[in-house]
Amino acid sequence: MESTTSYQRFPKIKIREMKDDYLKFELHSTDTSVANALRRIMLAEVPTIAIDLVEIEANSSVLNDEFIAHRLGLIPLTSTRAMEMRFSRDCDACDGDGQCEYCSVEFHLSVRCDQDQTLDVTSADLISSDPSVMAVDVAARSTSSGYDASDNKGIIIVKLRRGQELRLRAIARKGIGKDHAKWSPAATVTFMYEPDIHINEDLMETLTLEDKKNWVESSPTKVFDIDPNTQHVVVVDAEAYTYDDEVIKKAEAMGKPGLVEIYAKEDSFIFTVESTGAVKASQLVLNAIEILKQKLDAVRLSEDTVEADDQFGELNAHMRGG
Amino acid sequence: MGEDPISIDKQFLAAPISSAVDKFQLVPEFLKVRGLVKQHLDSFNYFINKSIKRIVQANHRITSRINPDVYLRYLDISIGDPSITIDHTTDKLTPQICRLSGRTYAAPISVTIEYVNQSGQPPMTRRGVVIGRMPIMLRSCRCVLSGKDEDELAKLGECPLDPGGYFVVKGAEKVIQIQEQLSMNRIIIDTDRKKRLTASVTSITEMTKSKTTIVMDKGKIYLEINQFEGKIPIMIVMKAMGIESDQEVVQMVGRDPRYADLLLPSIHECATENVFSQQTAIEFLDKKAKTYTNAAIEKQGKSVYLLSRVYLANVPVREKDFRAKCIYTAVMLRRMLEASLNKDAMDDRDYVGNKRLELSGQLISLLFEDFFKTMNTEVIRRTDIELQRSTRSTRLDISQFITKNDITQGLERSLSTGNWKIKRFGMDSKGMTQVLARLSYIGTLGFMTKISPQFEKTRKVSGPRALQPSQWGMLCPCDTPEGESCGLVKNLALMTHVTTDEEGAPLISLCHSLGVEDLGTMSGEELHSNNSFLVIFNGLILGKHRRPRHFANVMRRLRRAGKIGEFVSVFVNEKQCCVYIAADGGRVCRPLVIADKGISRIKEHHMKELRDGFRTFNDFLRDGLIEYLDVNEQNNTLIALYEGEAEPETTHIEIEPFTILGIIAGLIPYPHHNQSPRNTYQCAMGKQAMGNIAYNQLSRMDSLLYLLVYPQRPLLTTRTIELVGFDKLGAGQNATVAVMSYSGYDIEDAIVMNKSSLDRGFGRCIVMKRLEAIKEKYANNTSDELMVPEREGKEAERKKILDYDGLASPGEIIRPYDIFINKWSPVNTKDTITYPLGVTAKSHKPAYQTYKGPEGETAVVDKVSLFSDKDNNQCYKFLIRHTRRPEVGDKFSSRHGQKGVCGTIIQQEDLPFSERGICPDLIMNPHGFPSRMTVGKMIELLGGKAGVSSGRFHYGSAFGEPSGHADKVDVISETLVKHGFSYSGKDFIYSGITGCPLQAYIFMGPIYYQKLKHMVIDKMHARAKGPLVKLTRQPTEGKGRDGGHRLGEMERDCLIAYGASMLIYERLMLSSDPFEVQVCRACGLLGYFNHKLKIGICSMCKNGDNISTMKLPYACKLLFQELQAMNVVPRLKLRDSQ
Repeated sequence: MESTTSYQRFPKIKIREMKDDYLKFELHSTDTSVANALRRIMLAEVPTIAIDLVEIEANSSVLNDEFIAHRLGLIPLTSTRAMEMRFSRDCDACDGDGQCEYCSVEFHLSVRCDQDQTLDVTSADLISSDPSVMAVDVAARSTSSGYDASDNKGIIIVKLRRGQELRLRAIARKGIGKDHAKWSPAATVTFMYEPDIHINEDLMETLTLEDKKNWVESSPTKVFDIDPNTQHVVVVDAEAYTYDDEVIKKAEAMGKPGLVEIYAKEDSFIFTVESTGAVKASQLVLNAIEILKQKLDAVRLSEDTVEADDQFGELNAHMRGG
Repeated sequence: MGEDPISIDKQFLAAPISSAVDKFQLVPEFLKVRGLVKQHLDSFNYFINKSIKRIVQANHRITSRINPDVYLRYLDISIGDPSITIDHTTDKLTPQICRLSGRTYAAPISVTIEYVNQSGQPPMTRRGVVIGRMPIMLRSCRCVLSGKDEDELAKLGECPLDPGGYFVVKGAEKVIQIQEQLSMNRIIIDTDRKKRLTASVTSITEMTKSKTTIVMDKGKIYLEINQFEGKIPIMIVMKAMGIESDQEVVQMVGRDPRYADLLLPSIHECATENVFSQQTAIEFLDKKAKTYTNAAIEKQGKSVYLLSRVYLANVPVREKDFRAKCIYTAVMLRRMLEASLNKDAMDDRDYVGNKRLELSGQLISLLFEDFFKTMNTEVIRRTDIELQRSTRSTRLDISQFITKNDITQGLERSLSTGNWKIKRFGMDSKGMTQVLARLSYIGTLGFMTKISPQFEKTRKVSGPRALQPSQWGMLCPCDTPEGESCGLVKNLALMTHVTTDEEGAPLISLCHSLGVEDLGTMSGEELHSNNSFLVIFNGLILGKHRRPRHFANVMRRLRRAGKIGEFVSVFVNEKQCCVYIAADGGRVCRPLVIADKGISRIKEHHMKELRDGFRTFNDFLRDGLIEYLDVNEQNNTLIALYEGEAEPETTHIEIEPFTILGIIAGLIPYPHHNQSPRNTYQCAMGKQAMGNIAYNQLSRMDSLLYLLVYPQRPLLTTRTIELVGFDKLGAGQNATVAVMSYSGYDIEDAIVMNKSSLDRGFGRCIVMKRLEAIKEKYANNTSDELMVPEREGKEAERKKILDYDGLASPGEIIRPYDIFINKWSPVNTKDTITYPLGVTAKSHKPAYQTYKGPEGETAVVDKVSLFSDKDNNQCYKFLIRHTRRPEVGDKFSSRHGQKGVCGTIIQQEDLPFSERGICPDLIMNPHGFPSRMTVGKMIELLGGKAGVSSGRFHYGSAFGEPSGHADKVDVISETLVKHGFSYSGKDFIYSGITGCPLQAYIFMGPIYYQKLKHMVIDKMHARAKGPLVKLTRQPTEGKGRDGGHRLGEMERDCLIAYGASMLIYERLMLSSDPFEVQVCRACGLLGYFNHKLKIGICSMCKNGDNISTMKLPYACKLLFQELQAMNVVPRLKLRDSQ
């Protein structure tokens, strides 16, 4: 980075690997604060849809009502619509009773076991009023891209034996992970600093092959290897390095301090994002950036006017933390 | 040259094989045949099958005192299947029915009787006469659950993991606790409170119970028995028993001149009392004996009677032949004198071998015997009354006098109150039974192995509380409560067995045929001759044997061959020159592998047969590979911990070292790496952990039930956990713990929790409370009525949850002050009501019962059940369910005695994360480690981390590293490294708030955490104003009564020292019980305020001239008046304030 008076930078993203529910990308030319903000937003502020209100009509299963309601809430629902939806508390059209298409989706579940074997009530038994919102495993089955349909029995809600019944109406609403983890679209969001490894070749060559091997093996992860031809120590996978300092300690123990120097590149991050399936991992990142932008707008505007609060609409809610 | 290597080879071949056979499999096998609470079951089964018959046999004939021809004889007794008879129909009972309907799980005791009603009549026989109902222990041989498999148990509504061993009395589960006692009929050499040397025997026979003490006081030896006044010189007792010559006494005690010297003062004292013959001795004793009214005793001579029946009652006296008693006395004297010369010869009261455990069977048999005898005397009394009556309208039928209610009710009462009051045996103990704690499965198990002490807890002695070396393997070294009963209340170890009584006669005759010489043929001189040992059977001197070691070996061989009972103990005491053979009940013992010259008898092929199911634990016993040893016999052995450590002298090998711990301590992973008190703390806390209590937990109606929503089995498990079924009914969750400091809300053992984890169900629990209501019937034929709830009106809101039957309906959300039963009681319950039925506002008044719960919280009606109680009133039980998620202040603990409250709850995005995306559920402050030294917890973390990454449960059994039942840290580290973690368990972690890496590596991994039952919502309480106590007008006490918070003496002292007088004034009076009084300045007494005249008046001076008004605490005014009532006049002297 050249040091000019302008601090503006132009962050770049390089996607390494992309699946529906998994994304690995590099984020360059930016700061820890930005990277972390992105991570935090993905975890806690990207909205999804999850079951929030359950009306039990009949429940003779072994699990009690609250138990089932809690389990229902944790089923991830496909939430591509979530960004456009309204929070039910901001929805003027309704009072969040599930009748309103802008803020809620109604589900029905009605299962009764009339056989001798135990019957699994799964997410597949949840009947949605909106075809775009359904349990993620059911959605995955219908597209049948990565899943084997026979393998995927759905997310079990409860098991029923003969004569037991479960009937309920559930309303799914838009929400964010900050309010409850069930609205968090991310299973894993993490980043690491890209390591910058410099081997002191001269010093390394003073080691015997045996010592090199010992040194290479002192790292718990496979970062270094010995080139079979040249017998030089080479970095095979710098990112496998976990900043554990084991190789540095080993070098010191061998009486060769400075054998290797490892720094973290402070402006370069490797992100790993795993989605619950509610939103595609790639979309999750985009949504997060969108929300980050909205938040920054809010900060920018609030400098000029204190009363600007009213104008922010949806974002206002994010600011207030819920 | 050629010879040498061969000889070395021979030695090598003879050496024990170092490759140890894995004997662990024996432990589950042992527990399979024995169960976890076999001691209770064995004891009860023994009572049901054997001792009850013996009791009846001993009192089998009852004869009228008026007409000896009229008699009743018990021919047989048996106990049927648990059942209940209502209105002449008999229904089978199951424990679950009894629990739910508040009944007693009991079976009829039926006898076969033979009786004669009139002289000359032939005897009549009746079978199946029920004399009462015996409460049946669950899983005992009479219980419907015995021998049932898992499916059958499930059909009976029973949990297959429930150990049984308790009773169901009036719907409550009652455990008779194991009682620890000093062993009976044994000589104990000890010092008394005055530091005098004593030899005492507590004798117990079928007939009597007595205590004999021989004391050495200022060099002289005396006898002390309650029935004699004061001390009796022992030589006089010997003379009274027929040993008139002093020389013979000295010979009997032993010819060692030192003994003779010690005896000299006693002999001298006897001479000064002028007692030289048996006759004078008896006369001397007669004077000392306390008076008796019984004519039979007077005829025989008081002291002769006492000497034969009370003095050393366990030694039988046949036709005034006191020889055996003399020898017994001599042995007592000898041991006492030995102890006076050599302090090592003293007995240790705390030695486990001198202890006996009294179990439910023995305790119930005492009760039964008493009630049975009472019933018999009652039969005689009523028969005699009937026979004495001149005119009889009906024929006498002696069998009609057998009542069954006394036994039934007596047993039921004792079991439900825990009071064992038996006059006949001079027994009056309280708290023998306790309600089985159903807080967690493990708590229940722990309850069954608890041993309560017989001593009072207040004694400030350390001896009985200390850990005895003889407890090794028998009693758990960790599991004892803290506080006043520390060390007194103990718990059985995993493999401990408690013996039951064994028939003595065959063993005695066996001893005689094995060369035990009878003492009757021996002179006193021969008694202690060299190289011959006394043989003592159950505390009774049988005789002597010339080859004691050979004799002991033969006895042991017979036991191993199964010719005599497996629990008979043979112990050669070289110091006392005695062979002790014990076959009495209540001894603790444990199985050990027998080794010959250090080579284990169990070979690999035996274990293979066991694994393949061809061999059971009992086969091992029968084949003489394993035997039970009690504490005394262990002293004759050399036990190796492992086969590899065995030496040629080794006689036994431990099965598995972790069995020295009990069930509860067995849950701790790596306990041998912890500081010892931490394990003890965990033993206390494990019982408070929430989890599942049983498979049938939801079909029970406990008054309070704590359940965890998602219980897990620990990632780091132990063998004991698998053996006792903790992996099936866990009480905790595997939390990812980061050991670091965070936010400052984690000081003093507080824990920082992850909000997202809580959202996902971590630590979520269900609390079920039972509410009860009775629809009572009254004497005037009126009764409470349930009404259809009004849906309108001012109470409709509170009655919203009621159904048409007036009861709260299941599934409804219940709030504090909601009415859960719409009950109306009649206004008049005494006079006969003439007007017709129906409930009107006039005839009935509302008797609602309302739900009282924490304000602002809602609960759910889970279940409503109806049953009728013993007075045939309709009863209603409501189960109220409350689901709780952890909040700040809830208590959590790991399995290493590290408890802490939740200090704060943090959003997941603020918590640190690793580059793999791992985020802790829980953050623990590292300051918890250095002073506690719970290294086991660190290893648990490592092992748990290796476990999750490799997908294999890791083990941490106590002392398990050498035998492979605990994973070694090295191996765990290797696994960690293989999965890309640091070998040390530390992770490189980023701050969740800034995204920057943390300065230190963080020790992070899964640890099993328990949620304890102490939750803030149950304890939180505050009040501004509220109810007052009527008498003192001070605020009430306690949360339940919405009480005030007391400013105690110490707090008051602080305020005084600080000088905050106005604060004291406010707290102690204004906020408590201010009261305005009229004080007469003239007489100083309290007057009153006349509201008509609007002035204060002194009732003493009869005027209102000198009245001042002031404020006093009401309690102070009350004190003055109470003093006045006692003729003390407190006068107040008033002065103007400056």
